Amino acid sequence: MNGNIYHNRKAQWAIYLAAFAALALLPIFFDSPFTLNLLARYCVFALLAVSVSLVWGYAGILSLGQAIAFGLAAYGMAMTMQMQYQDPVSDPIPSFMLTNELKTLPLVWAPFWSTPIGLILTFGVPTVFFIGFGILMFQARVAGVFVAIMTLAMTAAWYSMAYDMQPFTAGFNGISPPLPFQIFGTEVDPYSAGAYWVCVAFLAVLTLGAKFLMQTKFGLIVQAIRDDAERARFLGYNVAYYQVVVFALSGFLAASAGFCWVLIVQYVSPTSLEIVFSISIVIWAAVGGRTSLLGAIIGAFLVNGMQSFVGDELQQVWMLILGAIFIGVVLFLPRGLAGFFELVLGLFSGRREPQKSDWSTRRTSAVTKESAE
Amino acid sequence: MSVNDFWTPFSLLPFLNALIIGISLISIWLIAALGLTIIYGTMGVINMAHGEFIMLGAYSTYVLQTLIGIPFLLCLPLSFLILAAIGWVIERGVIRTLYRRPLDTLLATWGLSLILVQGVRLIFGGEPKYVGVPSWLNFQIEADFIHLSGLRLFIIVMAIVMVAVTWFLLYRTTLGICVRAVMQDKEMAASFGIDANRIYSLTFCYGAGLAGVAGSMFGALKTLFPDMGGGYIVEAFLVVVIGGVTLAGSVLSASLLGELNSIFSYFTNDTFARFILFTLVVVFLRIRPQGLLAEKMTRR
Amino acid sequence: MSLLELKDVTKVYNDYVAVENFNFSVTDGELRCLLGPNGAGKTTCIDLITGRQRLTSGAILFAGDDICRLPEQSIARLGIGRKFQVPAIFKELTVEDNLEVAFSRKKDPFANMMTLHRSYGQNRSDEIVELVGLKDRLSSQAGLLSHGETQWLEIGMVLIQDPRLLLMDEPTAGMTEQETMKTSEIFNSLKGSHTLVVVEHDMSFVREIADIITVMHMGTMLAEGTLEEIGNDPRVKEVYLGSEGLG
Repeated sequence: MNGNIYHNRKAQWAIYLAAFAALALLPIFFDSPFTLNLLARYCVFALLAVSVSLVWGYAGILSLGQAIAFGLAAYGMAMTMQMQYQDPVSDPIPSFMLTNELKTLPLVWAPFWSTPIGLILTFGVPTVFFIGFGILMFQARVAGVFVAIMTLAMTAAWYSMAYDMQPFTAGFNGISPPLPFQIFGTEVDPYSAGAYWVCVAFLAVLTLGAKFLMQTKFGLIVQAIRDDAERARFLGYNVAYYQVVVFALSGFLAASAGFCWVLIVQYVSPTSLEIVFSISIVIWAAVGGRTSLLGAIIGAFLVNGMQSFVGDELQQVWMLILGAIFIGVVLFLPRGLAGFFELVLGLFSGRREPQKSDWSTRRTSAVTKESAE
Repeated sequence: MSVNDFWTPFSLLPFLNALIIGISLISIWLIAALGLTIIYGTMGVINMAHGEFIMLGAYSTYVLQTLIGIPFLLCLPLSFLILAAIGWVIERGVIRTLYRRPLDTLLATWGLSLILVQGVRLIFGGEPKYVGVPSWLNFQIEADFIHLSGLRLFIIVMAIVMVAVTWFLLYRTTLGICVRAVMQDKEMAASFGIDANRIYSLTFCYGAGLAGVAGSMFGALKTLFPDMGGGYIVEAFLVVVIGGVTLAGSVLSASLLGELNSIFSYFTNDTFARFILFTLVVVFLRIRPQGLLAEKMTRR
Repeated sequence: MSLLELKDVTKVYNDYVAVENFNFSVTDGELRCLLGPNGAGKTTCIDLITGRQRLTSGAILFAGDDICRLPEQSIARLGIGRKFQVPAIFKELTVEDNLEVAFSRKKDPFANMMTLHRSYGQNRSDEIVELVGLKDRLSSQAGLLSHGETQWLEIGMVLIQDPRLLLMDEPTAGMTEQETMKTSEIFNSLKGSHTLVVVEHDMSFVREIADIITVMHMGTMLAEGTLEEIGNDPRVKEVYLGSEGLG
């Protein structure tokens, strides 16, 4: 196996599995409920970062709208959990609705009486929305910056919806289901190791699934489309179709993150649909390395970890530094920490193929690649 | 709860008033988008910190007015200069290295906006600040269906003035010709001896300055807080993109978007109106991705 | 049998007439050269055939069927492959992966999810890799190849795609003399089993491969015939070659 070990597939899978194993074992060392919940939140953020890595790093689509899927799923889960608490006979209407002078449960809420249906809607509605939105954009060959702007506008639109439809969504107060999630007769304590492991499970399964997918022919074509959509089209590929599929998958990942989020924080508000949040996800993925799923995870853990570490006092300063880090990453480290790691490993790989390049714009011309990660 | 909680029935005078408010909205969005139109149009730079430039304009006016005691009207050109200077620094430092990379520019300027917001928050604190409306603007027009404050009228007038000045600079001066040449084809312009880099710098400074003036006025309209820029950035972008990244296009799209927003607002409410509007925008871009009045030549 | 037929094809951009009433017919198995000065409309014709641009009027028939309404990927799947003037390859992928993507017989995303790539290790592919001289560069990133190598990669991709009709837009641009020779050998070997339309400027290359040449000028056909016929045609001499002839 010559070349950079960074690109060795077996090594990659080994690292990924080791990383998830390590995550799964963390409760042994950190058993304070508060820490577990915090780590679980990081897992949710990591999953969001993976969704961005998938759609941006691999497919070349800069979506600033992952918060839409996250938020819609979060609201769906909150509604499910809220209705678990409500009783059809004695207490059928959530209290915030009563405050808003609603006499009956709105039609939109009715399906959530049933937990299975609530869950299907939680995962399904965002994904279907992303399919529709994706078809709208990619059929029209919207690309690059315009996708960013359209997803941004759509996020702003949904934020407005959540904020303003007070009787339905509790507006800026958000929905706080009184009880934790109930399933199979048990309650899922948000501060338990169990809840943490649910989040790790989602993160692990979805990341490994995405990684595997990117190693199939499908993944290769998606990356080809990222590099030159027109070329792919002339080779007979229906580019819009591929883009919609990847976009919808990233939406599903973000929706899963939304599900886990409300599971562990028992609360949702329009902040989950904020543009700032949506772009933060992009920052985590960029810092960690958007072409690497694990890189995105590390980026999310790192940035959010630092944010917690810095503490309340220094939050403002930290945000300022984060802004500077982000600019730095964009200017100097476009492939993020993962890219830096790749470079370093490349220096150790020994065999460097002589490269003759007269039109390469890349700095690192000594890296040889066996395959895209 | 009935339908009427979401839907206001039609009645003439309030509706006409909504249309007038619409004109005020148009002027605000147009001024906010003007700098962005110039910058994006000339340089292809997506400046996500544009909202923060507006915010900085507001805060400069606050400082000038409150701490130094400069009259409101004079704050406007001073804000222009302050923001132009800031813009110059930013263009040289960050933007210049990212010219052929629009997505990276988008991201880097987002990082910049974070820095600016937090910087202002650290310096001034997060509590709202106020820019005082000068006494000569402190009136209200109260006619039949027109309820408009003096300030809003002033903003409408300023919108016309700023568009006219920009048009004049762009189409009636040698500098404007150079800018338009660079807009069309950078290399060709360079071969005629036009220093594209200098043009880019000047253009960015001008666009930033325009944002500064916008901020000065908006600051008087509402309260100042560090992340107020966020309330303008999306609308500004939509105006630019729907308009087709031209001056005339931005005027047209601002008119359409502003008036439509007002009309929807009248029938439903502010935030729902936004939702409808943004959805329409998304649909529109799908139908006509180049915008309303785009340049005929395809750039880049 | 005529494989490709352009009937009264016209393409107008706003007020600029790029192609006007152009008639063009290529027989199955033929190698046709399409010549003409810059701006004559050659690349526009290729764009129109491949669906990259839409006709203003006229018809384009491929194996008897009108294809001008189809999207690019459908046209490609019918068996039309294209090599671009400025080589278009997938820069971040390796040479091997580039060929893999070009080779793929299944285009459906979900079918491709079931395929772990590296499925193309078939004889023909090795042949083509050998032919384009990229055997040692399989694991290199395509964006780092030299200009000549990039041309070869794209040629390799089109060959592996194995379309019935190959549209080659200035395939030897930037190539050395030996490389140009090699390209002419490849093209000649494809005659009969494939149909080629080659847009070119390099007359020595054209001489090696051409049977019939079509010369375009100002969006329409100026002359058509064999090398000698074209070389002796006074209109061609005047417009395209000056008074020196085909040199």
